[in-house]
Amino acid sequence: MKAADQPRGITWRRFRRSPIATAAVVYVIAIALIAVLAPVVAPYPPDVIDLAARLTPPGKAHLLGTDDVGRDVLSRMIHGSRVSLIVGLSATLLSLIVGSTLGAIAGYYGSVADWVVSRLIEVVLCFPFLFLVLGIVALFRPSLWTIMIALGLTSWTTEARFVRAEFLRIRELEYAQAARASGGGDARIIFRHLLPNALSPVLVASSFGVASAIMTESALSFLGLGVALPTASWGSILSVAYEYIQFAWWLALFPGLAIFFTVAAFNLIGDRLRDVLDPRAD
Amino acid sequence: MYAYVIRRLLYAILTFFGITVVTFALIHSVPGDPVSFFTGAAGMNVSGPALEAIRHEYHLDRPLREQYFHWLRGVVTLDFGRSMVDRRPVSTWIFERLPRTLMLSGIAFVLAAAIGIPIGLWSGAHSNRLLDRGSSIVFFLLYSLPTFWVALLLADLFSVRLGVLPLFGMSSDGYSELSLGGRIVDRTRYLILPVLTLTIGQIAIFARFSRSALSEVIRQDFILTARAKGVGEGALVWRHAGRNTLLPLITLLGLTIPYLLSGSLIVEAIFQWPGIGLLYFDSIWARDYPTIMGLTVVSAVLTLLASLIADILYAAADPRVRFEAGKR
Repeated sequence: MKAADQPRGITWRRFRRSPIATAAVVYVIAIALIAVLAPVVAPYPPDVIDLAARLTPPGKAHLLGTDDVGRDVLSRMIHGSRVSLIVGLSATLLSLIVGSTLGAIAGYYGSVADWVVSRLIEVVLCFPFLFLVLGIVALFRPSLWTIMIALGLTSWTTEARFVRAEFLRIRELEYAQAARASGGGDARIIFRHLLPNALSPVLVASSFGVASAIMTESALSFLGLGVALPTASWGSILSVAYEYIQFAWWLALFPGLAIFFTVAAFNLIGDRLRDVLDPRAD
Repeated sequence: MYAYVIRRLLYAILTFFGITVVTFALIHSVPGDPVSFFTGAAGMNVSGPALEAIRHEYHLDRPLREQYFHWLRGVVTLDFGRSMVDRRPVSTWIFERLPRTLMLSGIAFVLAAAIGIPIGLWSGAHSNRLLDRGSSIVFFLLYSLPTFWVALLLADLFSVRLGVLPLFGMSSDGYSELSLGGRIVDRTRYLILPVLTLTIGQIAIFARFSRSALSEVIRQDFILTARAKGVGEGALVWRHAGRNTLLPLITLLGLTIPYLLSGSLIVEAIFQWPGIGLLYFDSIWARDYPTIMGLTVVSAVLTLLASLIADILYAAADPRVRFEAGKR
């Protein structure tokens, strides 16, 4: 049975049968709350410099230690969660819009439209993802916006392929034909009738997409091409860790764990969604 | 078969043009022109006439369409122009650096396949639920490890704390005076950390892919027949299903190349391994646009060639693929 036929409650009940995926959801909600409430929950402001306390190991005053200019690592991580989530969600939203539009056009109209979109996907897939993203971000000057746009414009291919395949399957089903027979225009059929029913594979792809976007954003920040300093992000704390690798293990450990857990949570949610929503796929 | 290969080749040529158009369009949509952003990045103060001379040398005073065809003619003959940093031909740079990246990612590819495929087949074969779910979660965790973080931790442990492996570079001082054996040992010591980092990221991909390929095969009728005949579970998996599982793995060759190149970008930047990843990284900072364009095209074409070879091998190995493609 397809997910679209099921009431939402059943999907969620089946989802919950996996304790690890449920834990991942709880973790993501917790991180989102922390990001929203960052100024309230962070023990220190994120960019207050205290040279007397530079490179302090984790202890009572600074739970996760301080960085090279004495800023509190925990507070910077709490504020950094905002960057990760904003970039992850908005880049995925953009690739969702681009990908499902192109995928829908290809799958609905077929023939020439399908051919053109499929060739475009082939071309984009040839570029090593990070080469493209790094190039765009660096040449157009690194900022939150450039990163979001670069990620969104390079990672829409998965969504496009999923939506295209789903459209090819459902466009000949009875309800689509009925909509066409009763005189519905193309746009109406695509957006009102077909797209809502093609959303479950897109949901799965988006969950993996958020994971990949968060990972890539932190890699860019680590390489010095991320959100401009002094804005804290998990990747930029790690790039400080790289310089002080001999002295400060806590700088490398905690932000890395934050990235790892968050990326893993979105990946595990995506995996579970795929099991729950689409039993045909592995 | 020939029809399939020819069609696949024609598509590849088309994709190649697509790659060059995207690369060219991307670079030329950057605000300002390449020369001014290069001189800006290098902090040079260049006078108007000198700028014009550089623009002329790089054909930037020509209409865009003419520039594209000039550049394309170069790309086809492997001439990507000269680097703006040191005026060496970009192709010399690339062909000096490419073998080092291929060495790094080639070793990681083989290691990851050798470790990942058996693990994937094993977990797919033991599809008693708990174990299978468990291993799938472990694969996802491995897959979620940020490459640069793994590199950082490995460098911290083996180079800084234990002091047994070099932190960065490709060879020690006095490498050229070493004997052949000494050179191999020296190079290996420098290879271990970057290769290990890349391999860890790849294992999960191979394991997941072979696990799902096996579960696809194991549902088919001939497996049921073999089981009905009384073939034991071990022989069933390894002899009957295993071979058919390895076929789709050929396509991984094309799929993992871009992933490996992306990974080598991070790993080479961290370990200062002088391959094309580090070259790309340095050219980005220097805004050396002929090198950026050359490398972008070369890396995309490498992917294109790998997936072309993989598709043809796959079709040669499995007649169903040619048949399915012919029907469309």
